[in-house]
Amino acid sequence: MTHRQVADDGALDFADLFETAPCGYLLADADGRLIRVNRTFSGWIGQDPAVLQGQRVSDLLTVPGKIFYETHFAPTLRMRGRLDEVALDFVGADGRKIPALVNGIERRNENGAVIQIRFAVFMAAERRGYERGLLEARDKAEAAIVSERADSELREQFIAVLGHDLRNPLASITSGIRILEKEGLSERGRKVTALMSGSVVRAVALIDNVLDFARGRLGGGITIACDLDEPLEPVLRQVVSEMRSISPEQEIATRYALEEPVACDHMRIGQLLSNLLGNALTHGAKDQPVRVDASTAHGELVIAVSNGGAPIAPAALERLFQPFFRGHDRVRQGLGLGLHIASEIARAHGGTLVARSDAVATTFIFTMPLGGITDRMD
Amino acid sequence: MILPITLTSNGLGQSKVVPYFQTPAMMAHHTSGTSSLDYPSCLVRTPTAMRNASITSSTIERRLNVRIAGAGTRTMMFAHGFGCDQNMWRFVAPAFQDDFRTVLFDYVGAGGSDLTAYDAAKYASLDGYADDVVDLARALGVTDGVFVGHSVSAMIGLIAARRAPDLFSTLILVGPSPCYIDDGDYAGGFSRAQIDELLDFLDSNHMGWSQTMAPVIMGNADRPELGDELTASFCRTDPEIAKRFARVTFLTDSRADLGPIDARVLILQCREDVIAPPSVGAYVQRAISGSELVMLDATGHCPNLSAPAATIAAIKAFV
Repeated sequence: MTHRQVADDGALDFADLFETAPCGYLLADADGRLIRVNRTFSGWIGQDPAVLQGQRVSDLLTVPGKIFYETHFAPTLRMRGRLDEVALDFVGADGRKIPALVNGIERRNENGAVIQIRFAVFMAAERRGYERGLLEARDKAEAAIVSERADSELREQFIAVLGHDLRNPLASITSGIRILEKEGLSERGRKVTALMSGSVVRAVALIDNVLDFARGRLGGGITIACDLDEPLEPVLRQVVSEMRSISPEQEIATRYALEEPVACDHMRIGQLLSNLLGNALTHGAKDQPVRVDASTAHGELVIAVSNGGAPIAPAALERLFQPFFRGHDRVRQGLGLGLHIASEIARAHGGTLVARSDAVATTFIFTMPLGGITDRMD
Repeated sequence: MILPITLTSNGLGQSKVVPYFQTPAMMAHHTSGTSSLDYPSCLVRTPTAMRNASITSSTIERRLNVRIAGAGTRTMMFAHGFGCDQNMWRFVAPAFQDDFRTVLFDYVGAGGSDLTAYDAAKYASLDGYADDVVDLARALGVTDGVFVGHSVSAMIGLIAARRAPDLFSTLILVGPSPCYIDDGDYAGGFSRAQIDELLDFLDSNHMGWSQTMAPVIMGNADRPELGDELTASFCRTDPEIAKRFARVTFLTDSRADLGPIDARVLILQCREDVIAPPSVGAYVQRAISGSELVMLDATGHCPNLSAPAATIAAIKAFV
């Protein structure tokens, strides 16, 4: 084979490649008027290449395509020199739409004047269908989000109003009890008001837990406001004293060793302890003390609450922190939100809450870094 | 279950808020929106006195991504049409910098404008856009100015000039169309069904109208005069806003805004334009008594890009 033959074959290959390439080729002048199209494209359109010659590219497009071509494609092509992956619909001789993806590039002479615009056209019917499906799915999801957001706003308002309305009568009951106690009551009267006070404390805790849970589920989340300046111990002591007033017959043994400041939300940690204590007082053996041990050591705050009594079954232990989890003893238990909220408070602080249970004791241990959640996030 | 955590801090003196709504794409959108390469910096002038005198001036300049250049005392304001942004005037505006103070801007929703200022109710009609033109011209102290409006901006300019006749004494309407939809004897070029098809297409087409507007940085070795930043942001717009702008542009019938007007009016018509055909240009010329029409030897809807020399010559001859 001579060199000449190789060259001829090569030229033939390129001419053939242009005409029968697996994509449409369009060559246009600077005005976008077609100079030449390949056989692949004229075949798709169903027109003789000679007929297409002299038409403008936008003449072959649907109306939206024409407008897009004139207002976006052509200007961008002039500014950037090229544009890729533009979705356009061509119109065939039979009026049929031919969805395509089009790449365009300008050819300029040495003076920078446009001498030719070249387009490569790829069939995109299947791809367009797929994209349409994606788009529909996205629109549906967006519509769902919008309606969900509206619902959630309504719920937020509902929760706020509900919390306010539930706490108000409890505050009235509390001040009523105070007034009665000041008037001087009989022994029996004092016992009754003490029980009433305990019930109010329990009701307030219950409302807090329910509202926190609702807020968490519905998008508001548990918010924490860290406070380093105030000591944590008085907050914990206050919680213990409230719980003692609710269950005066039960012993609560405490040990505090809080030597270092802790970056935590005091109200929330108080709520956590209150929930753990409430759980221990409800489920623990009545003849054994509940122990509270709060300490700082090795860069961590640890609060442990333990009680005696029958151990928790391993299967139940796994599900303790799930919302609405209530063991077998449904009568004495509340909504089953206390431990769940406690674990969420732990998590919001970058800490953990774990439970251990054996024949000797059931212990809940809350651990968090002294620096609070910022330690974990860095 | 995952509870979103909001951290506030009083004791630690530091707070962490994770911006979960801000995706990298959105951030890119905002940071690369404006182009500082529009003009050589020596030509960019800020009217210092005006800036100091009026807060409104700098506010609206930011909102509309205003670029001021040129040495003249008379103002020539260029307004882009549907699609793309002030860069449409890139090949035209510099030719007027010796004789005019040139003002370029992006409508809210286009180019480097403040997208957060987009008010769907305000911009549901061309009046909202005309209000911005009037506000901007007032803020810049324009009187006896020249307004050059392309495509839909031709009509916006007419509305603005009627509302505040002192601002512009000359209007250049490039490819104007008061109504794109055929109506009885009036041939706008499109049927209502075709315009509906366009709006449907805008609703369903993402690749064509939004993807091409996504920032694509690519080198332009053979045309170094176009910076990467410009080529990246050109024609980029928020797809939602583009849809609404298309609705206003193609559904508005502004034929009532034509008619006699005090300003001198020049109509620049492309020889071949599917969007604003010569018959529509002739209609506009007949409807505005005293107006002049120049037929440009250009095809397409954007002579400011495809035939800048002819466009410049026609404007120069008129002003």
